[in-house]
Amino acid sequence: MKEVPPKLPLRFFRWFCHPKLRDSIEGDLMELYEERRAKSGKVKADALFFKDVLLLFRPGIIRPAEGYQQLNNYGMLKNYLKISWRSLLKQKMYSFIKIGGFAIGVAACLLIALFIKDELSYDKHYANHKQLYRVLAVITENGDIKKGVAFPAPMALAVKEDFPEVVNTGRYNNSELFGAGASEVRAADAEDNAYDEGFVYFDQSLIDMLQLKFIYGNPQKALSQPGAIVITKRKADKYFPNEDPVGKALVVNNKADKPYTVGGVIEDFKSTSHLQFDFLIGMEGLEFWNGEQKTWDASNYATYIQVAEGTDAKSLEEKLSNGIIEKYYIPMMTKSGRSLDDVKKFFTETQAHLELQPINEIHLFSEGVDDKLNYGDIRIVWLFGGIALFILLIAAINFINLSTARSANRAKEVGLRKVVGSLRGNIINQFLSESVMFSAISFVLGLAIASIMLQYFNSISGKSISIPWMEWWFVPSLLGLSVVVGVIAGIYPSFYLSAFKPIQVLKGALTQGSKSSPLRSSLVIFQFTISIILLIGTMVIQKQMNFILNKKIGFEKDQVLLLQGTGTLGTQVVAFADELRATSHVVEVSTGDYLPVRGSKRNGNSFWNEGRENIDPNVTSQFWRVDPYYVNTLGLKIVEGRDFNRDLASDSSAIIINQKMAKELGGNMLGKRITNYGGLWTVIGIVEDFHYESLREDIRPIAMVLGTEASVLAVKLKAGDMSESIQSITTVWDKFAPHQPIRYSFLDDRYAAMYNDVQRMGKIFTSFSILAIVVACLGLFALSAFMVEQRSKEISVRLVLGASVNSVFQLLTWDFLRLVLISIVIAAPISWYMMSRWLEDYAYRTDIGWDVFVVSGITSVLIALITISFQSIKAAVMNPVKGLRSE
Amino acid sequence: MAQLLILQIGIYYSRMKKYQLGEFEEVVMLTVGILYGEAYGVSIKKEIESRLKRGVSVGALQTALRRLEDKGYLKSHEGEATEERAGRPKKYFTITAYGKKAMEYTRSTREELWNAIPKVALKVVTGFRLPVADNLQLETGNNE
Repeated sequence: MKEVPPKLPLRFFRWFCHPKLRDSIEGDLMELYEERRAKSGKVKADALFFKDVLLLFRPGIIRPAEGYQQLNNYGMLKNYLKISWRSLLKQKMYSFIKIGGFAIGVAACLLIALFIKDELSYDKHYANHKQLYRVLAVITENGDIKKGVAFPAPMALAVKEDFPEVVNTGRYNNSELFGAGASEVRAADAEDNAYDEGFVYFDQSLIDMLQLKFIYGNPQKALSQPGAIVITKRKADKYFPNEDPVGKALVVNNKADKPYTVGGVIEDFKSTSHLQFDFLIGMEGLEFWNGEQKTWDASNYATYIQVAEGTDAKSLEEKLSNGIIEKYYIPMMTKSGRSLDDVKKFFTETQAHLELQPINEIHLFSEGVDDKLNYGDIRIVWLFGGIALFILLIAAINFINLSTARSANRAKEVGLRKVVGSLRGNIINQFLSESVMFSAISFVLGLAIASIMLQYFNSISGKSISIPWMEWWFVPSLLGLSVVVGVIAGIYPSFYLSAFKPIQVLKGALTQGSKSSPLRSSLVIFQFTISIILLIGTMVIQKQMNFILNKKIGFEKDQVLLLQGTGTLGTQVVAFADELRATSHVVEVSTGDYLPVRGSKRNGNSFWNEGRENIDPNVTSQFWRVDPYYVNTLGLKIVEGRDFNRDLASDSSAIIINQKMAKELGGNMLGKRITNYGGLWTVIGIVEDFHYESLREDIRPIAMVLGTEASVLAVKLKAGDMSESIQSITTVWDKFAPHQPIRYSFLDDRYAAMYNDVQRMGKIFTSFSILAIVVACLGLFALSAFMVEQRSKEISVRLVLGASVNSVFQLLTWDFLRLVLISIVIAAPISWYMMSRWLEDYAYRTDIGWDVFVVSGITSVLIALITISFQSIKAAVMNPVKGLRSE
Repeated sequence: MAQLLILQIGIYYSRMKKYQLGEFEEVVMLTVGILYGEAYGVSIKKEIESRLKRGVSVGALQTALRRLEDKGYLKSHEGEATEERAGRPKKYFTITAYGKKAMEYTRSTREELWNAIPKVALKVVTGFRLPVADNLQLETGNNE
């Protein structure tokens, strides 16, 4: 009897060994075992056998995954992919359109997804953002909801003391009236000033609440000394390169006698923070006028609160709102003479109340808040998301349409597969894996397109997005998405193709592909509807932008140069202005602190007719201090009365108001006297209403009195050589301020900059509508090419029987043109509705007008026509023999 | 175009690795030659062990044989099944013409290298006159 080696290692060997090698090697092992057994006994032979088996367990011997017994359909899958690849190469044009269109869609989606992700990530990096809220004042006036963030100085402290749920409160004040905003800065030991923005008055407690990260200095005490300032890293590098600036002095606006002491350096505010400041001036011991920090009459402080963990914000909100109004606002208002009933009526009528806005919602949900911060808009996020999805959908439709249309070419393959035993499920799998392959290729290409287009996208969206290659979720989620998108796009074609009956298709009876199926037509209509909606949207935005730029706004914005930083000249500014007037290029010079563009100084005030302070409701108005040259420089039009006269001493109590204000004060105001809290003014002139805020808003009352503030000078230039004019101004400037570089801008640029967001919207819409149209046209092109191919025999017969080129062209074109016309009919009302809603944001707006629809309709028809006619003409002029001889 | 390029690279690569034969592979090839017609797993193993006085595991040997067969230096055929092998067939290996070329190539490159060594160098190393190079020449001569 033969000796048998141990079972376990033998079984193990049989399991792992490559089947082709198994027998011969096993034979060797047996032979050796036999011999060893005879020579050295069972134990040693067993051990050596075991060792041999273990040493055989190595790559050359172990059977590969690909063997006889497969656990998966790997082989089949390989076949599917191979066939897909072949059909891709065989039909280069169609594959290009399928993949190219898809890739464009993917790229657009990817960029927009990154954009949305960035928008949604605002203020989430603050460690306790879940407990931080900004206080909002909400008031309803004539049906309009208005929101404000400015509160009286003592409110922060009051909230903290009165409500145990509130752990901490903090404020900032970024009003230019107080010296926040832009300034001329230098380190105490430097000579030249530099201009910088981002000055703000900031509470130490707000630093604590936001837990700003410090590079130098003590975070707890950075602003606790009077005159302390905290600067960001980038500004520290600018003014104090390569040193620790804590304790150093910083001179602002040439006030060398009262410099600020640097108390700390913080990291720059992240781009995803709604707060973007660079110089935080401490509030310790600061009072802008006597009793300013105690008064409830003036609202200048944005107020943030931090609640205890687990606090219900909604219930706190109501308690806080009622508490503050009852305890502080109502007494303050009755003290100024109004009756209690009157005040109560005001609160019930206007539904004035306070709201708590979670800090991470500030960026996207601050519509209607006007406080000089830059906000995003949740509607834009939705809109972009929608557009991205639609572009991807258009690309997916191309995919579906082309796959089903070209089904005739694959029908034989399907038939044959079925005959040799494929189940329907297998064929569905085949086409699904094919579409996943297409989608994967498109994703790779789309990623490439996205990274190329990233810079352009950043420039039009005003973001600094980068593709997060290194993030752990990025690549896996793209992989997952490419499979999901591939499956979704492939579902319909795969079910459609797998339903073919083998006998019919092998007989050649299948003509399904060449008929224009209702589904395919409706998909084309869908594509074009979306494209046309985007086209109309683009045109309306352009029209509104033109309207804004060309509208008569009541002042002359052209040829006005704004000279900044003149505050440092002090009293010399008058002499400087006189010297400028003497140069030949200058028409007029005036103070320009208050300008009719966004971002310049504002000062809200309440006015009454003389003696009616506690009887009439107040007229809220802007209260600007200008000089006698202002009206001339800006080309305002006096409709009644006269301009200021510098020679009349009595003009120091004169006031010029606009028509709107005159109307609100009761009309016929010339020569009457009006009052605000501080003074009594005689109306000497009424100017025509001019737009001093964005065209989104109605013109509000405005009053101007004489003043001498001049941190900006407005210089009206003669038409002519601009660089020469600037040269002569620079010469004068260098004489007066040798240590400060000249800095200027132009009023018309500043005006246009107010509508940057509109221009941005316009650019984005233009880009996306071009994308959508290109992708849709790609699809249409491929579809028409295919139809022509399918009907080539029919066309040939028609041509032989005497059809004219023209009639064949019409025949082929009309089928598709009809679909585009239907799309126009569907798109027009939808886009009209959407764009009317968009225009509602503007108090002054263009009307949409029929011309937009006509032009976009004609454009889309033309584009479609050009796309189709390329193929139609080719078919119509071909030699009919070519189409007929194929059989 | 791209395919052509890949082909070119492939040819270049294979030229570079022309007749590559590892030390153990060379030993196996030579042994298969010695056992002319009788070379199968166990016999090769025993031959190497007895001639070179070194242990050879079945795993190492089989892997080497597989690799040489894949490279085309050896070819195999199944032989008779014997009782001591529990009915398993033997797999006999013989050297192919290509394999022979590879062996010759390896040998000639070795010789080239040996011949390139100046005799003095070997003398200095050993310190006394031992005909190392001559010995080797003899051995290789034997193998022919």
